Amino acid sequence: MTLINQVTLTLRSVLSDRILHAICGVAVLLVVLVPVFSSFSMRQVQESSIGLALSASSLVLLVLATQLGASSVFREVDRRYTSSVLTLPLSRGEFVAGRFLGLSLFLLLTTIILACGSALVILYATSTYPSARPIAWLTLFLAFGTDLLKYILLMAIAMFFSTLSTSFTLPFFCTLAVYLAGSASQEVFEYITGSLGDQMPAMLRTLTELTYYLLPNFSSFDLHVQAVYGLDVNLGDVALSLLYAVVYTSIVLWAAIVCFKRRELP
Amino acid sequence: MMRPLVFLLLLALLGGIVQEQSNRLQQRPTILKLGPVPHAGLVRATTGEHLTALSFRTVISVMFYFGSFFEKHTNRMQDAPEYLSMYNHLKHAVQLDPYNVDAYYFAEAAFTWELGRAKEVNSLLDYGMKYRTWDYQLPFFAGFNAAYFLKDYATAARYMQLAAERSNNPLFTKLAARYFHESGQSAMGLAFLDTMEKGAKSDRVRQIYHQRKEALLAVNAIESALEEFQMRYQQLPESLSELVTKGLFDEIPSDPYGGKFYLAADGKVRSSSKFVMQSLENEKKPVDTE
Repeated sequence: MTLINQVTLTLRSVLSDRILHAICGVAVLLVVLVPVFSSFSMRQVQESSIGLALSASSLVLLVLATQLGASSVFREVDRRYTSSVLTLPLSRGEFVAGRFLGLSLFLLLTTIILACGSALVILYATSTYPSARPIAWLTLFLAFGTDLLKYILLMAIAMFFSTLSTSFTLPFFCTLAVYLAGSASQEVFEYITGSLGDQMPAMLRTLTELTYYLLPNFSSFDLHVQAVYGLDVNLGDVALSLLYAVVYTSIVLWAAIVCFKRRELP
Repeated sequence: MMRPLVFLLLLALLGGIVQEQSNRLQQRPTILKLGPVPHAGLVRATTGEHLTALSFRTVISVMFYFGSFFEKHTNRMQDAPEYLSMYNHLKHAVQLDPYNVDAYYFAEAAFTWELGRAKEVNSLLDYGMKYRTWDYQLPFFAGFNAAYFLKDYATAARYMQLAAERSNNPLFTKLAARYFHESGQSAMGLAFLDTMEKGAKSDRVRQIYHQRKEALLAVNAIESALEEFQMRYQQLPESLSELVTKGLFDEIPSDPYGGKFYLAADGKVRSSSKFVMQSLENEKKPVDTE
């Protein structure tokens, strides 16, 4: 049993999961409905269709990342799958890493399908009311790429909570809390470091700043506005976000492996 | 036998409830239809990358709310919609997504003609212009509002100048020059036209700018002579021909648009052409305006 076997096994099991089939069905429906909703716009059908397609895809990826990550380890433990698979020449670290890579591969495949589907519906919507500005395809696909990075990172966090938990509820809600806090952290940080923050108690300010640096900063992965309106994207920023995602994910995964190694399995 | 009957009864009951519910929902006050305006900062912090979609949804809900008034009263509104609430929602939408052109376009359509709130709309358009730096329509809307509704020609000229610079459209250049003239800023209009003429790529467009510049130069010359006349005689002449008889001009400059300059009742120099190209027939007609 190698790491690659574990990755393949994970991917296969995900592809045959009925809940995920249902989620993917909803994803297709959301993307197909984009031209219908964007047609309500008066002057920016193209921009609306891009915005809605990105939002729909992002929502689907959020559901998948939290669902897959939060249920990945604990479910295998609960089903006693780990008891048998870990008797094979496969370490606990390889088990967690294999599952993570398999699930990431699934998120990658889903993102590719969503991006292609979105491109088709955007083209269709745009044909009805072309915009004066051309579609920034590169930025659009970059936005899908950074969304993918964000949700892989979120999935790693969900897996970390899953290695600590014996149920689905705890990792699911903890991941959701991290997602909300990570999406808001930049706004809050800018607020408290501004003039308004001077009125706050110093202790609270320091605590908030510390939380800001500890939490994943999801704002850096958001290229939606640039993709929708074809604004310039700083590739240096994107590269930094990529590096941030890789490093942060590695740390979270490492922590998940450490926790799983120390866990007593039935 | 009983089961299908109960099922049909439940269906009929549901139909009745849905109908009643729909009627009640339609009668909801605006605060419930459009909802209260949430704090933009709070929404921005909690919605992450969905801001553009949320802004889109806000504008659509305002449009639907406004549209429902027309639907009810067959293109004639009896009850006035709550414009303040609508305006606040549009403002909220652009705070979420300052690039959302639907919000600006709808504000322009609904709040100027119906309510005469051109000043508020222009403040919204000013906000949008800072972000949509490529869009010539926002300064065009604002310029139109300033000239047509607010009669503030100096501001209108500045907006039209911006629209012209963004679009390179000679129409906006003409409008800007006209508003500069109306506001007594002919010199600024001349400087603007000169820049546009030099930057024009097409000969035809350059010719249009040149013609407009010639007209403004003529107006400028007549205005200078009028100032001279006023200094000498402490009053304005009765007609422009008096400038020639008093030796301030050899002859009144000609209007490149084919019209004839005259002194309007408000003391401003105007042309019978209104700086629009005259047809041959019009040129032949005698102009009795002085």
